[in-house]
Amino acid sequence: MTKYVIRRVIQAIPVLFGITIVVYMILLAAPGGPTARFANNPRVTLEDREHFKKAWGLDQPIPVQYCRWLGACNPDVDEKVLGIFPSPAALIGPNGWPNILPEAISGGSNGVLHGDFGVSVDSGEPVGPRIIRAALPTFILVSFALVIWIGIAILIGVYAAVRRYSLFDQVATVFAYVGYAMPTFWLGIMLIFFFSGPGLNILPAGGMTTTRISPPFGSNEYWVYFGHKPFEALIDIGRHLILPVFTLVVVNIAGDSRFIRASMLEALSQDYVRTAKAKGLPGRSVTFKHALRNALLPVVTNIGLEIPFLFTGAIVTETIFSWPGIGKLTIDATRAFDYPTLMGLLLITSILVVFANLVADVTYAFVDPRIKF
Amino acid sequence: MSDPFLAPNTEPAPEEIELRAAEAGQDYEVQLESLNQWQLAWRKFRKHRLAIVGLAILIVLIAAAIFGPILSPFVFNEIPRPDKAVYAGRPPSLNHPFGETGGLQRDVLQLVVNGARTSLIIGFSSMAIGVLIGTVVGALAGYLGGFIDNILMRIVDVMLSLPLLFVILVASQFFGNGNVLLIIIIFGVFSWMGIARLVRSLFLSIREREFVEAAKAVGVRDRRIIFRHILPNAISPIVVSASLIVAGNIIGEAFVSFLGFGVNPIYPTWGNVLSNALTFIPVGNWWWPLFPGLAIIMTVLAVNFIGDGLRDALDPRSRA
Repeated sequence: MTKYVIRRVIQAIPVLFGITIVVYMILLAAPGGPTARFANNPRVTLEDREHFKKAWGLDQPIPVQYCRWLGACNPDVDEKVLGIFPSPAALIGPNGWPNILPEAISGGSNGVLHGDFGVSVDSGEPVGPRIIRAALPTFILVSFALVIWIGIAILIGVYAAVRRYSLFDQVATVFAYVGYAMPTFWLGIMLIFFFSGPGLNILPAGGMTTTRISPPFGSNEYWVYFGHKPFEALIDIGRHLILPVFTLVVVNIAGDSRFIRASMLEALSQDYVRTAKAKGLPGRSVTFKHALRNALLPVVTNIGLEIPFLFTGAIVTETIFSWPGIGKLTIDATRAFDYPTLMGLLLITSILVVFANLVADVTYAFVDPRIKF
Repeated sequence: MSDPFLAPNTEPAPEEIELRAAEAGQDYEVQLESLNQWQLAWRKFRKHRLAIVGLAILIVLIAAAIFGPILSPFVFNEIPRPDKAVYAGRPPSLNHPFGETGGLQRDVLQLVVNGARTSLIIGFSSMAIGVLIGTVVGALAGYLGGFIDNILMRIVDVMLSLPLLFVILVASQFFGNGNVLLIIIIFGVFSWMGIARLVRSLFLSIREREFVEAAKAVGVRDRRIIFRHILPNAISPIVVSASLIVAGNIIGEAFVSFLGFGVNPIYPTWGNVLSNALTFIPVGNWWWPLFPGLAIIMTVLAVNFIGDGLRDALDPRSRA
């Protein structure tokens, strides 16, 4: 087991390395590059721009820049190998320790590997805190949606599998097909029309809090307000949650209920289920104790794999309902060509995906005794 | 099994076929089999009711995309001059079966039909690019194995760990320029990984079969073995997952264009014709977002049904 875990971790390292390269490519691809923000500023001359490039090491060859961006190279060492690659001497920080160790030990500069994602080009804030601030609303939205949709998907999937080809199963199949084909943003628009349009107008069309009665979520004033009127604040957020959660639930139930149905059908066709039935055990006990437990094994890993994608999967829903989370931050950053924020977001979500894959594989191996390492 | 008492066996004896083929100097077995396979597949496909419905829907949509803009009484590039100015646009009527948009009061049916052109072209062409890249990568990895396989599969791993919608969004904003061709390329470049994994696994198993060994033994070159001997045997799973790519890319493009990062609105797609629709929700215009959305749902459903039909039809183990 330990051996297997170690092997999987080692296999993940080249993938993580590849991800950093892809993320770095965003910087290279950003139109105009890091000096683009000076393009329309008449007080910044061409010489100033050249000076800026030199001061920030942007005149260095790309591998050297990449190494410094990672935080693995000491920017004060200017030696190169073959003219473009950083020399091994650059890997050592000023204190004689490898630069990749935290600043307190190596004395060198921090980089992405130390969690320093730089400063947003758009708002001027550090990227890390900005992402953390946006993560809370997304977490609230996604966790509510996840619990509801997994619960409903398990109910639908199991019932459809037990009563295979019944009317319920067929209706569930049709809904799954339609739900799978439905664009999330379109569902959101239609829901906004029905529930916040001129007809019904019972639910807020977007945002996380009602602007008239509460300060924006996450600000210091908000927490003061929350301390004064916690119930009112919770109900307000709850009302804003209904439509986005419903959207996420509808869209995601489609695929997951089919997956659970297939997994349950597979379990129901196993020999041990037939044996249990032949022994005269009641149907309910066979379904829930023998079949369901085994059917949920792949479901658990599948859910594990879905969790990191939720943070970007909610991009669509958050945009439609102006939910101030990771998804909206992504769209805002894309719109503003804010590449440091985009790089931070992409790096964090991709690492989450790799980590979730790892955890899913390991848990699967752990809970399924048939898997040999 | 044919019953000799009911139907007289009119087929020539196997030895005779072999003799005739030898005389004609052709590889008779392969030809006969490949012909039969597609006929058989079509027979099975026809029995799949949903797949036929899907095919019909898709043909109607393609026809609308080709002929609709020609037959439409409205010119796309012209701003309409409605006889009555209504800010929210007018609901569906005989003149405008799908209603009018808010603001400029454009005909929604015309937008949907024009959008069908671009959306379908983007969906299918990006799939073609994805399948092409995926097949080549998967074939190389599966056939050559070893170091090349390792490198290619790590690239696939990296790309599958990226949140693709995110990357496509950023790529469209940075390089897309609203250009249809560039958007097609961006979607194609990010939709090959599934196919590559699939083709690789198929190649790994087919590579070990006897006919490949035989081809190698008689000195057939690698390229010919890959494209003429192995690939035709891997076609059916590729076709099925290609249909899923079409559906995914149509939805993805609609979203990216809806946000304004995709195709420039002068080339209407089902996504970008909706980009202002949200503004007119409070004044009660529901028909504008409804119909392009229904068009997307119909297309994706049709493509998925066809995919299901193909899966059953091309699976040699399923019976007609």
